[in-house]
Amino acid sequence: MGTPDPKPGSRLPAIAFIALILFAHTVVASPDAPVAVDVGVVVASNEGTTMDPALSSIQKKLQSMFNYTSYRMVDRLKRTLSVGETGDFVLPGNRSMRATSVPAKGNKVKLAVQIMEGDRNLLSTTLGLKRGGMVLVGGLSYQKGVMILIISAE
Amino acid sequence: MECRETRQMIQDHIDGHLPPRVSEKLREHLGGCDPCASEEAELIRVGDLLRLWSAVRVEEREPQLSALWTRVGAVIEERRKPWLVPLLRRWFWVPAAAVVAVLTLLFYPLDGSRAPFHPKSFDVTVESLESDAATVALVDKGEDLPRVIWIIENGNT
Repeated sequence: MGTPDPKPGSRLPAIAFIALILFAHTVVASPDAPVAVDVGVVVASNEGTTMDPALSSIQKKLQSMFNYTSYRMVDRLKRTLSVGETGDFVLPGNRSMRATSVPAKGNKVKLAVQIMEGDRNLLSTTLGLKRGGMVLVGGLSYQKGVMILIISAE
Repeated sequence: MECRETRQMIQDHIDGHLPPRVSEKLREHLGGCDPCASEEAELIRVGDLLRLWSAVRVEEREPQLSALWTRVGAVIEERRKPWLVPLLRRWFWVPAAAVVAVLTLLFYPLDGSRAPFHPKSFDVTVESLESDAATVALVDKGEDLPRVIWIIENGNT
């Protein structure tokens, strides 16, 4: 004789408990948790009407904010940074981005970002984002358009 | 050979089913026996009549028979076709899909470099904004749109 099957609803509390733990983990990440920095390097121009498929999810946002007709993602750079760690991102056109994860409270992420062109400091800023948040940095001329960096932190 | 035995074998003789030696003995008997010869002639005539009648029926039923033969021919032709062809035609997509999958795995970047962006928030605080070589502007077009830091180099953009 085998063990009788459990009643259909008997596993529900266990499943709910596990789901709650998983949900709590995703909602409240530890302030010291590593930060996954994702940088999409986009070239926007008025040459053609290309929309990179990788940008389809934010296509309307881009078109609402800028007047360019073509958006092409030329590179995608990702680094996972622990708090206090610095990551270097090599950008096209002899430019680079340096991001340092700074301690932040709660579900926030703080990044000290510096964009350089050779030795010239083009931008120094400190950004506070929610995990999963996004900010754009643009305006640098590149090829026949401008470079827009899509910076997100998870 | 006796008459009773001969009459039992006449039809087989007409149809050519008897061995040559038996057929020879039968012919000898028929040559000297009028009743048996008459019986043979009768059976030959009946056979001719039956063949004639069959021919007439076949002629009458020519269209139906023709259609029947067409169907039979089609079935034979169908069975002659190689079994592999329809099988390949039906399952052609399996190797094709496998090839596409392999090519995708080979050439599509798996590091997420082409994965779409799915921002959860555009809520950003900018604590400081400095530049040694350009003018920098912070553009905020509302909560539904991402904030933009715009770098203006040499008044170009």
